[in-house]
Amino acid sequence: MSFRCLLTAALAGLLFTFPASAQDAKPTPDKSMMRVNITSQGHHFQLPWQKMNPGTRRGLGALLPGNRVLVTAELAQDAIYVELELASSGRKLVSKVEAVDYELNLATIVPAADPGDFFNGMMPLEIDSKLKPKATLSVWQFENNGEPVTSPIELHRADIGGYFLEEQFFLIYQANGAVQYRAGTFTLPVVHDGKLAGMLIRYNSRDQVADLIPPQMIDRFLNDAALPPYEGIPNFGSKTGQTLDPQLRKFLKLDGIEGGLLVTAVTPGFSAELSGVKEGDVLLEINGNKLDSRGYYNDPELGLLASSHLLRGGAKVGDTVKLKIFRDGKPMDLDCKMLRRNPSDYLVDPYMFDRGPRYLILGGLLFQELTLNYLQLAGREWRERAPFRLLYAQTNQDEFLKQGRKKLVFLSGVLPAPGTVGYERLRQLIVTKVNDKPINDIKDLAEALKAPIDGIHKIEFNDHPKLIHVDAAQAEQDNKEFLPARYRINKLQRLE
Amino acid sequence: MKQSLRLSVPALAAVLASGPLAFSQEKTEGPATSSLGAQYEAIVNIECNSVEADYQTPWNPATPGGGTGTGFLIGPNLFMTNAHVVSDASRLSIRKVGDPTPYRAKVKFIAHDCDLAILELLKPAKAFENVKPLVLGNEVPKLDTTVKVIGFPIGGERISVTRGVVSRVDYQGYTHSGVDQHLAIQIDAAINPGNSGGPVLQDGAVIGVAFQGYSGDVAQNTGYMIPVPVMKRFLKDVEDGSYDRYVDLSIAHFEILNPAQRKALKLPDDDAGVLVSNVDGDGSCWNLLNPGDVLLAIDGHTIESNGSIDIDGEQMEMAEVVERKFAGDKLKLRVWRGGKQEEVEITLKNTEHYLMAAHKYEQRPQYVTFAGLVFQPMDSPLMAAHSPTNLRTRYYFQYFSNDALYKQRPQPVIFTSVLPDSINAYAREFTGQIVDEINGVKILRLKDADEALKKDPEGGFITVKLLGEGRPIVFDKTAAATAQKRIMAKYGVDEPSYIE
Repeated sequence: MSFRCLLTAALAGLLFTFPASAQDAKPTPDKSMMRVNITSQGHHFQLPWQKMNPGTRRGLGALLPGNRVLVTAELAQDAIYVELELASSGRKLVSKVEAVDYELNLATIVPAADPGDFFNGMMPLEIDSKLKPKATLSVWQFENNGEPVTSPIELHRADIGGYFLEEQFFLIYQANGAVQYRAGTFTLPVVHDGKLAGMLIRYNSRDQVADLIPPQMIDRFLNDAALPPYEGIPNFGSKTGQTLDPQLRKFLKLDGIEGGLLVTAVTPGFSAELSGVKEGDVLLEINGNKLDSRGYYNDPELGLLASSHLLRGGAKVGDTVKLKIFRDGKPMDLDCKMLRRNPSDYLVDPYMFDRGPRYLILGGLLFQELTLNYLQLAGREWRERAPFRLLYAQTNQDEFLKQGRKKLVFLSGVLPAPGTVGYERLRQLIVTKVNDKPINDIKDLAEALKAPIDGIHKIEFNDHPKLIHVDAAQAEQDNKEFLPARYRINKLQRLE
Repeated sequence: MKQSLRLSVPALAAVLASGPLAFSQEKTEGPATSSLGAQYEAIVNIECNSVEADYQTPWNPATPGGGTGTGFLIGPNLFMTNAHVVSDASRLSIRKVGDPTPYRAKVKFIAHDCDLAILELLKPAKAFENVKPLVLGNEVPKLDTTVKVIGFPIGGERISVTRGVVSRVDYQGYTHSGVDQHLAIQIDAAINPGNSGGPVLQDGAVIGVAFQGYSGDVAQNTGYMIPVPVMKRFLKDVEDGSYDRYVDLSIAHFEILNPAQRKALKLPDDDAGVLVSNVDGDGSCWNLLNPGDVLLAIDGHTIESNGSIDIDGEQMEMAEVVERKFAGDKLKLRVWRGGKQEEVEITLKNTEHYLMAAHKYEQRPQYVTFAGLVFQPMDSPLMAAHSPTNLRTRYYFQYFSNDALYKQRPQPVIFTSVLPDSINAYAREFTGQIVDEINGVKILRLKDADEALKKDPEGGFITVKLLGEGRPIVFDKTAAATAQKRIMAKYGVDEPSYIE
């Protein structure tokens, strides 16, 4: 077994490596790529006062100018301890995450302190901004022993696809070719003509198709990170539907007009709504690009692409996007100022890394702000199995935001304590009021709990049992004595 | 909680595979029937040929099926059995021990909420003339006393007797309706498919009807029987010639075990009372009780803080008082409200909307088709047949009673499926959602959809708006009219709609 492994490794080395000495001027894997070892520790979303078991992952990063190493955010998530490692010598350098964008699935790693001579002899990669279709790219990897391995792939087409998080779709490049995975890494740098041409984020070994984060998305991430504050990707804030159905087109009076996307919902307070887009409008053009009835446009360089690219990955926060819409039988122009919707702007945070959920414990009653991570505790089929009320709130967030809620505070469970007798079975109840004050986020809850009524906290839910009472003095005592002693919980709240 | 409970009547297919036909040649001679006691003569085998409604293609005739169970003579030509043995019956046959003749019978009364039914022979039969009906016992048997279960379970053709002890007396979900809970008695005698509807005897009297059990991989030696109080209530209910269902307080309550709860509600420190958490908007207590009230006593019985009451020295759930009452009966409640005691009198009734989640029987599926779109009213078999994933649809089904959604939409109409045709080529992705409006008319019931679709709309388009969906489904009026006939012919839909 070990003999066979050795043989294939040697063979691959023979085929794909080129000696470092042959071409000193050109970046090579051993000079422009390094290993990145990241120990990460996520937060526990069920028991929010504690963290999960730490785990270490190894990946490969592309060396960029300024002793900066580019990796995927997936690798860098919840990083606690970061090392850069030279593949050839195995030398390690304590480092840190400099910038991370989980939506774009990119992060930069920099040394934690003065790197000394660690980067001596290394050669940073520039970004290739002039990639052409059919270009032959090279996927870079290392063998276990540090020998470089390169696999050629051919750039095939551009598309809009998922990066890492659910429902985040951006520009991807697809390339064809055989890539042999080494040392189970997350992401691989892809190089063209000595320049960084992308990061490979997915590979389908059966069809031999690789999905890459393309250079322009890497570029925009680096430019954004270079000028703090980090802006991120803007959001348009609408739902749209295709207009292929000829009967629908006739109904919408679109005779003689080509293409268009029907706006079926608009999120209150975001780019689309603020610029005057309404449900029922038909989006005909974005920045002069005509949309077809599937919602695609013909990009002069990249071909047919989903128009979401023009409103997200292809736009910047603060940009004004020119929209041509069709309303009541007439075309109309709108200027749309692109805003960003941060995870914290949602009723239910769509993702959460590097921090735990906000929570508060009252004598054993555990209150939390709902996150998608919490719903996903129900497993792979969380959309079927997550607690229904919470799932419904997550899916219909805008309805709750319109009611004035900022976050969804819920009683996630009860730790049996002297003051929680009779409440042990309560869980996953949405909190409406505490001590007669409406609760729109966890801070409201903390504030409301400062004013018990006659020494008793009155807590109201949207569902059975609707109303419970907790003795304020008993809860405080349990917080101080019982919970630390019996459950070893010392951190009773996280409000920030 | 009782999801693993299953009905103990086998499907006909199972009977054919493992029952009489498969084993008939190897059967050994058993004892002559004449040697059995007289009471066995009153215990009969019931064969039910049934039809199963098809909620996926609701215009189709029902699919034939069936099963067997047990019953027992309770009066001249009258037999008691389980509702689930005879539900959806197309033909019922009764066989007596030692007599191969099938006697045709019909359902005289059926109570799906407590899984009991009374059958009557179509023609009085000589064979039963001299058979003495079984005697109904008086009470709930004591724990650890022996009982006998008699019936025609799987494993052979002849009558079977098993014996066990009373293991537990408690409230149980009755799986036949899926939404009802009544008193049930757990016994450790084997109850198997086919035993259903059979008598459970003690000292020569019927003290229960065997009705459900767990499948072997969940729990063993646990069978359940319907006890005498439930049987007696059924018999009394049908005295007037029809069955009127159980009545209910239609409230949710919460135990007051926490001292702070008691203090905040200014309740005396006597461990009495439960907190009212929800009052059904259509139920017996609507406008008479409010969430936040504390129920102190029901019909003169003090309610403990865990919701139990004392009846004749036995601890019972407070629902037991209501279990023994009938529609129109009055009931006195003692309520703690705003720091004071009040007496409230309610008139008991049952609600229709809680049946949304119940299994349905003897029901022909209703539907409306239009241009290949199929609309059906939301109910439990529909949800089972189509399993819509749309969250709003699931919300309406699950919280129909709890959130009083019936007040906005008494019979939510679901766009369930599409019979594919050129006219509806772009409608398929919208199935599984609730219909909000058709041609601007709110759709509260299936009838509304039927009427709205029959009217001539202004502007040449028929528009179907789904709840929470911004993209309407639109049909060209003239094209839709021709498509309707074409689609019905192509897919074998004889009637464009069926509405009761």
